[in-house]
Amino acid sequence: MTWTLGMSRLLGQKRKQTDSKSPAESLTEQERILYNVIRNKQDMGIWTRDMKRETSLPDNVVNKSLKVLQAKNLIKEVVNIQNKGRKHYMATEFEPSKEITGGTWYVEGNLDTEFIQILKEQCTKQIYKLKVATLEGITDSIKRSGVLNVELTKQQIDEIVKALVLDNEIIELKSNGMGEFASIPVGKICYKCISKGSGGGEPKIGAMASIPCGVCPRIHQCTPDGIISPQTCVYYNKWLDF
Amino acid sequence: MVKTQYGIKYAVHLITNHFGNLVAKVCECLLRKGPLTLHNIVRYTELTQMQVKNSLLVLIQHNCVQAFRLADTGGSQSAPKQITQYIALFDNILHRMRFSKFLAIISQEFDTLCVGIVEGLLQHGRLTLRQIVERANSSQKEGNSVGMGAVQENLRKLVMARYVEHCPTAEPFLESPTEDDAPARKRGAKSSKMVIEPETLEQRVMEAARPMEAKRFSLEMDTELNEDGEKDQNKSPDKHVGDKRKRDASDPNVDSDTTEDQVVLWHANFEEFIRRLRHKACIENVRARMDDGAAIVLSAMLEASKTEEKKVRTASSVPLSVNSIYEEVIKSEKGRNMTFDHVRSALVQLSSPPPFVTVIDESYSIDFKHIIEVAQSEEVESIVLKRFGRDAYRMFRLLSKAGRLLETDKISDKIFVEKKETTKILYKLWQDDYLLMEKLVVGTATFLLWKVNKHVLWEHVLDEMFHAALNLSLRVAYELEQQKEIVNLPTDRREGPMKEKYEKLKKMRVLMESSQMKLDDAIMLFHDF
Repeated sequence: MTWTLGMSRLLGQKRKQTDSKSPAESLTEQERILYNVIRNKQDMGIWTRDMKRETSLPDNVVNKSLKVLQAKNLIKEVVNIQNKGRKHYMATEFEPSKEITGGTWYVEGNLDTEFIQILKEQCTKQIYKLKVATLEGITDSIKRSGVLNVELTKQQIDEIVKALVLDNEIIELKSNGMGEFASIPVGKICYKCISKGSGGGEPKIGAMASIPCGVCPRIHQCTPDGIISPQTCVYYNKWLDF
Repeated sequence: MVKTQYGIKYAVHLITNHFGNLVAKVCECLLRKGPLTLHNIVRYTELTQMQVKNSLLVLIQHNCVQAFRLADTGGSQSAPKQITQYIALFDNILHRMRFSKFLAIISQEFDTLCVGIVEGLLQHGRLTLRQIVERANSSQKEGNSVGMGAVQENLRKLVMARYVEHCPTAEPFLESPTEDDAPARKRGAKSSKMVIEPETLEQRVMEAARPMEAKRFSLEMDTELNEDGEKDQNKSPDKHVGDKRKRDASDPNVDSDTTEDQVVLWHANFEEFIRRLRHKACIENVRARMDDGAAIVLSAMLEASKTEEKKVRTASSVPLSVNSIYEEVIKSEKGRNMTFDHVRSALVQLSSPPPFVTVIDESYSIDFKHIIEVAQSEEVESIVLKRFGRDAYRMFRLLSKAGRLLETDKISDKIFVEKKETTKILYKLWQDDYLLMEKLVVGTATFLLWKVNKHVLWEHVLDEMFHAALNLSLRVAYELEQQKEIVNLPTDRREGPMKEKYEKLKKMRVLMESSQMKLDDAIMLFHDF
């Protein structure tokens, strides 16, 4: 199994600690003002244009000071998921907030789809094995399986499981304490794989979706005698081509 | 559900196919303009009075139009007059597509004579007992006549099962809605906090026209045949089915009170057929989601509670005990090999949340509303999946489950799709009327909020379904017209490329016609259930 991005991300140390505050003491007045503005924003950081507005310092001074502060390792440039083109700075002692990074599922401003896919597969597998599983059960089962040597929080598993429900891979149920729910307290939310009998796991294709009109992007322009009409429809030609 | 624009077009198309342009013109006029007097139909359609009258008679004979009288409050100088108006019965027109389904139900439950009776009623709209007997005999070989008793006996069976009923009153009098009625209904709706679908005029008219329960399914056969039936039949051998139409159907110039009830007219009770199809749809849904055991138990529950069902759109069935359900289960062949425990566990499965069957004090009742809603959602989701892709499908499901406004970022987080991409897809769904969008401006920031409005969307989807049904029907006709030569070619001359073409056409027809039937199931799911 190769899953470089996800692995390296979660295995690597996330937090870097700044060990000394000493460089801050040798700053000029203007550098200090700018540093304080950035630092006050904590884990939200600040966009260069906002710095200029808040400090009322001229552009060249701000640009120069930013370089100095970066060189002294007091601030760092971060990617803001909301606006990747903007230059965004943050004091080094803070880790960017969820709003800035996009949350745990983002790496350097990009959604870690590969990692998410692996987790989805693992969760489905565990639920299938357990037949009916609670969130705790899934988390526990993944931990014990040892397939992932990363620590995942219950919150993370919860997000993955909720996404699987939207995928229609699993369904969310409430235990009634009977039958297969016997080991689960009544009223507790649990999950179950959708039986992959006839549909082969794919959602059932409805009556409308299985005819050309059901998926036609031009249905609004289609009239019996119009340029687009059922008699001349290309989708129909394709559909009826035996 | 309401009749949508394409619903009307489709209904007119069906009437054109079955009864020609003239009748369709009158029908369209009524569908579009609502109930009208004879005078106004003549005015709007610009047809002659005779043409309109005859068209109306055809439509009434086939249960597609109902006449009713209304107090005329317009004239103040004289005493209130009663005016006769005609209303198109949209649902009944659509049912014409389903006659094969109705007949399939009958052939599953009854023998061929019954099938013949219902077939006759569907074909001719409404018939007297005498006409039914004539029809039964005309389809028999020489000297193999069906006796009056046999026909009566079978008709009795069909009436007992409610598949056949007395025709509605020709011209019922409809109380005009008084001013006290409207606010009273509003208050009621508010206090009960339930969404009560407003009763349409069509429903009110049908309600007024429907004979009293006892009379509607009264087994008392009319006397015209019991006494001199056989004689009478011989006296007028040239009288054929259909000839009576003009006399039987409501004629605006004849005072209906004096003529009605002398001869009993029978017709198919569409309501019962639709109820049956609704039950079937529920059973199939449960089977697909659970297993055969659950489906057998559900169908037993339907069987045990069906007599208590008063209207088609019943929200839930009457409560049943485990014992009574088991008793019903073992009546069926498939249910006979189920043990009591098996039935019990199927009930547990059916009632596990979100439940198809609700349990109160050890009594089980079917939650029809929930089963139907699940099936409707599934149909719409499958359209979204095919038309907009998997990510859109996830977004739609998220919003549909949430049932409230959600912000773009939140949606993006939940379904693991990049924010930019999320916005793009949501926008596309919104453009095609699958979502509602609201802009929220906070300071300088603008947030986009999205929502699925089921009520509006379901109607939109239904309209697209009607459109699709119309298109399918037009395309079938077009293909048949195109390949007329091949269709008309005698079998022995269908060789080589001709044979190939014929086979291809056959496949096309099978595909299109089976799609029509399935699409009609989906239309019923949204329109009738």
